[in-house]
Amino acid sequence: MTNTSYQDMGRPASAWQAPVELDLHHPDPAASPAASAAAGSAGHQRNDTAGLVALAAWPQWSWAVPAFLGGLATLVLVALAFDATDLMGRSFASSSVLGVLVTVVLAMTVGTAIKLALDEMISIRRLRHIDSLRAEADSLARANGHGSALAFADTLGDFYAGRADLAPALHALGHTVNDAHSDAEVIALIDRQVLSALDQRAYRCVLMASRDTAIATALSPSAALDVAIVLWRNLKLVREVATLYGARPGQFGSWRLMRRMLANLAVAGVTDSVGHVAIDALGGSLAAAISTRLGQGMINGLLTARIGIAAMTLCRPVGFSADNKPNLRRIRSELMSVPKEVL
Amino acid sequence: MKFLKWNQLAHVGEQALGQALGHVNVLAGRVMEGTLRLGVTGLRRSGKTVFVTSLIDNLIRGGRLPFMDVIAANRFLAARLRAGPDRTSPRFSYEKYLAALTASPPHWPAATTGVSQLRLALRFLPTSPLRRSIQPMATLNLDVIDYPGEWLMDLPMLNQSYRDWSTHTLELTEHQPRRQLGARWLHWLSTVTPDLRPDESLAREGAALYTDYLHACRRSQSNLSLVQPGRFIEPGELAGTPLLTFCPLPPGNGEPRAHSLWGLMNERFEAYKSMVVRRFFVEHFARLDRQIVLVDVLGMLNAGPAALYDMRMALTACLEAFHHGRGGWLSRLTGHQIDRVLFAATKADHVAASQHTNMRNLLDMLVSEARNAIRFEGATVDTLALAAVKCTETVTTEHQGRKLACIQGTPLGRQRATVLFPGSIPDGPDLFPENVSQPYRFLDFEPPAGVGRDGRGLPNIRLDQALNFLLGDHLA
Repeated sequence: MTNTSYQDMGRPASAWQAPVELDLHHPDPAASPAASAAAGSAGHQRNDTAGLVALAAWPQWSWAVPAFLGGLATLVLVALAFDATDLMGRSFASSSVLGVLVTVVLAMTVGTAIKLALDEMISIRRLRHIDSLRAEADSLARANGHGSALAFADTLGDFYAGRADLAPALHALGHTVNDAHSDAEVIALIDRQVLSALDQRAYRCVLMASRDTAIATALSPSAALDVAIVLWRNLKLVREVATLYGARPGQFGSWRLMRRMLANLAVAGVTDSVGHVAIDALGGSLAAAISTRLGQGMINGLLTARIGIAAMTLCRPVGFSADNKPNLRRIRSELMSVPKEVL
Repeated sequence: MKFLKWNQLAHVGEQALGQALGHVNVLAGRVMEGTLRLGVTGLRRSGKTVFVTSLIDNLIRGGRLPFMDVIAANRFLAARLRAGPDRTSPRFSYEKYLAALTASPPHWPAATTGVSQLRLALRFLPTSPLRRSIQPMATLNLDVIDYPGEWLMDLPMLNQSYRDWSTHTLELTEHQPRRQLGARWLHWLSTVTPDLRPDESLAREGAALYTDYLHACRRSQSNLSLVQPGRFIEPGELAGTPLLTFCPLPPGNGEPRAHSLWGLMNERFEAYKSMVVRRFFVEHFARLDRQIVLVDVLGMLNAGPAALYDMRMALTACLEAFHHGRGGWLSRLTGHQIDRVLFAATKADHVAASQHTNMRNLLDMLVSEARNAIRFEGATVDTLALAAVKCTETVTTEHQGRKLACIQGTPLGRQRATVLFPGSIPDGPDLFPENVSQPYRFLDFEPPAGVGRDGRGLPNIRLDQALNFLLGDHLA
């Protein structure tokens, strides 16, 4: 019975433990609130398959594809290396100054390439970390346990360690959480004390982006330009939101995020049901009666808003709870005023 | 010269107008203030006084209520004490109780002996834009009253006649442990018949024996709750009056003569009902908007199955007296209704925090009848495990190779803090296992030294969630 978890101690019949008094001055290092936090954390299970991540999972490639790509990349790299040494040799042969110059440029190129790759790797790792944090928070909030969430709060504190804007909130959280709070309560406190302020800022980003796309598509003369604008603005929005929540994605990372979000939008309809799209479109049709361009702008704006909200959902280290789910209503009413501004 | 006079006159007029407008403004503010009467209901020793003290202290300081939406959203401005709306009843001496809790060494306030009340004005920023345009900051007056829990047990008597009450009380006395506790009174009953001459000294004798029996019920190991009438135990200002000289008599067959011992007792019972119970109810309970029912689950587990059964019956009976229902604009016209009721298992700090779920489930089970009845009337009901003043810390220790979630605190009457495993609350209906003689021994604790010195309010467990449920919608 050494690994008895907190929950098990409520069941009497099999292992009845009579009330007992233990001496406070007994040399027992475990008898501290901090230790009690750590004690329960081993028992919980990580639920990686839950939620949005699973929905967005890409189909598994067969072993041949990575092998082929790896081989190709190696060949290209080897060829490039040969070319580079060849280039260096030729430039040194023509003039030593040119040789040094080419060598320096070559070193810079290789160095920056390595740095970019490392940055991407770090950003992808951060995204994965957020995924695992969210899964952990989710299982903690459901499990009805006690004691493990303090460790989670510490992990989250480490994750946001460098953020000056979150330091007061994290400090206040340390004061409010006490040993009597259950795991679900600690998660709820993190949600409302630390993350709700971030939500407000992310929400403003989404609103700005959706207005930008709405106005830009309404004013742009060609459809091709529309696509370019929407794509660029959405990518920028996703990066803004992700950076706000601490994901800091690189170029490749934000494309990855975007792809996952599109999958989510397609599969699950993250924020609203399909019915809402129809309502959004109908709401747009009023304006469309005045101008097709304006109607299109509104719909593009709403799509941007949906992508932004999907990004919020995917980048938040604690999943949205039932009472603070972001909704499109405010953005919708905000967008309704766009035609007036443009006209 | 003339011009100057006119100027002065205009100035005076302006001043008067300004003052009048100021008055109108203040008056409008008063009219717009909402009032909410919170009924803190609980049997004896369920912790009403400490709950009210902690509620007031925490709302005034506001530092330990993170789950109150109005505080989490930074809309809460401040709270202030005001005089109660009823000028005749005494003020709840919050300062005295707080001083007791924060003294060194700290101690619990003494048992309540009379009614007292207090009004707390809560200032906050309203959410709705319409309301904010009229009133940039809103005020909610929260009225709370405190009273001896014994008096609550009088409420079921309101719907009973003397005959019903006598029958009911005598039926109760037939079972142990009451039968043994009331042996002397029962013996006296066997010597009298209801048809006797109305003799004052006989009535006094009966009442005295009955009062002794009630005191015995209260003091007994089983800690019985259903003790009626409450003023016999806690007479307040009525000590020694003829109102308190009656006791149940075995109802004979047919109608007893009017001029008899029965007639005398009947008359006094009715007088007690109308002059004491109904007055108490109308003055304090008839206009409640919200209700919190405090239940000392742990004390009942300590006392055993008889106490638990008794408490359950007592609670169901006295909750029937309140007007529950769904609030709405119509209820403003037709009279007050309680539209939210919270059942709270108090003293949650006496067990490890991991036990709170089981504690709440146990409370759910105990109050299921009362809760269903209230739900049927349309009111919203919730249950919670809370502690108005948190006296212990949950710690984990190793004991004989097992990890135990223990609590650390100073048990009542001791000087030194200790770590103890207080026992666990079962999560099923099988509360009292056959083979264990006294399965529960939950200790009471002293308030921790230096409590509330940090100025953030008394430490508590889930007081914020309770308040959010009870007041949240009025602070929106």
